[in-house]
Amino acid sequence: MTEYDAKKIGDLHRHLHSHMPSDPALRVKALESLAVEKGLVAQETIDTWVEMYAEKVGPKRGAKIVAQSWTDPAFRQRLLDDAGQAIKEFGYEGHATEHLKAVENTADTHNLVVCTLCSCYPFAVLGMSPIWYRSAAYRARAVKEPRAVLEEFGVTLGNDIKVRVWDSTAELRYLVIPERPAGTEGWDAERLAALVTRNAMIGTERDLQVT
Amino acid sequence: MDGPHDLGGKDGYGPIDVDAPPFREGWEARQWALSKNVPLPGGTIDWWRHAIENMDPVTYATQPYFVKWCLNEIAHRVDQGVFTLEEILSGTPATRQDPPAEPLDMDGTLARLRANNTDFRVEMDQPPAFAKGDTVRTLNTPSPGHTRLPAYARGHLGTVIAHHGGHLYADAGARGEHIGAHLYTVEFSAAELWGTDTPDTVCLDLWEPYLARA
Repeated sequence: MTEYDAKKIGDLHRHLHSHMPSDPALRVKALESLAVEKGLVAQETIDTWVEMYAEKVGPKRGAKIVAQSWTDPAFRQRLLDDAGQAIKEFGYEGHATEHLKAVENTADTHNLVVCTLCSCYPFAVLGMSPIWYRSAAYRARAVKEPRAVLEEFGVTLGNDIKVRVWDSTAELRYLVIPERPAGTEGWDAERLAALVTRNAMIGTERDLQVT
Repeated sequence: MDGPHDLGGKDGYGPIDVDAPPFREGWEARQWALSKNVPLPGGTIDWWRHAIENMDPVTYATQPYFVKWCLNEIAHRVDQGVFTLEEILSGTPATRQDPPAEPLDMDGTLARLRANNTDFRVEMDQPPAFAKGDTVRTLNTPSPGHTRLPAYARGHLGTVIAHHGGHLYADAGARGEHIGAHLYTVEFSAAELWGTDTPDTVCLDLWEPYLARA
């Protein structure tokens, strides 16, 4: 049992950081080896989990949800009402998605997602977050100067478009629904899904490219 | 706490590494997998986050993201008696060999991912103090413990744009207490937070104890 003692855990961190080898790979290896030796996890499970995140869980899931919302108005409504429930229709629920909220870009609103206090992200629908999403620079700047941040991603917005920044401070997670690009009339959801990028679902991209 | 993690609105950071992938090194992906697959007997997600906040600020600012996770996972297991410090530093278990864990195949890990879905709602006896459209002011005092009210949003006026019912209250969760509080999304104008003249806003999910009627 833990005593929830902040000073004790801070001291433990200091001790570990100064006594463990400085090479990150060796630190992770030490944790993995001891966990395996103690029968807490099998090494094969770690291998499989890494493979699962590389091949089966990723932005393709979010893209499928977005494309469905463009072609199926009833689904779009369910997604906007309760995204955490709506994604269960795809079996995509998992880590950090029960309280998922979908926010839609419109002609005059652009949504941008950040977590300034840690790195909250809807992992099970977008996969692992990009390193920049977890970086101090993005976390510090996205709330204060979202337009300068968007410029670095190649997105320039006029003052006729409002930027709404969502700072994920509780257990809600955010998925941006980008606008459906023009020139895609009649496309099916599968073809549309190929246009939807991870960054568009975080909000660091706005106009999707029709390819 | 006013810890090194509370980065929102801080100045001096350079450009964003916009092309960075999710993982650059193999050990980063393995740490992610370890964090999701090695069971931890006690604690809460809020205590897990608060433990990272209590890292030395220089360590927090300079160590790679998944090194912080690694140190935190180890610290929690030492704190809870799963490992001893000697075991982790020597790499050798002090006790006799435990039976190995059963490996999960792809279907097993996919099922574990789905089972990770956690509902944080709590049934509340008290009705909500605020409703959509209300103007509220956030607390202006720092919390000595864990809080999800970032410093940049303290003491500011905002508008309630959604009420989510009762959710587990993070500040109490970090003390091991299972207490609910009404949760709201509150929208703040950029003018209010930063004094800028853009039409932009920042929305935060804030529990009722952080808010007062304005």
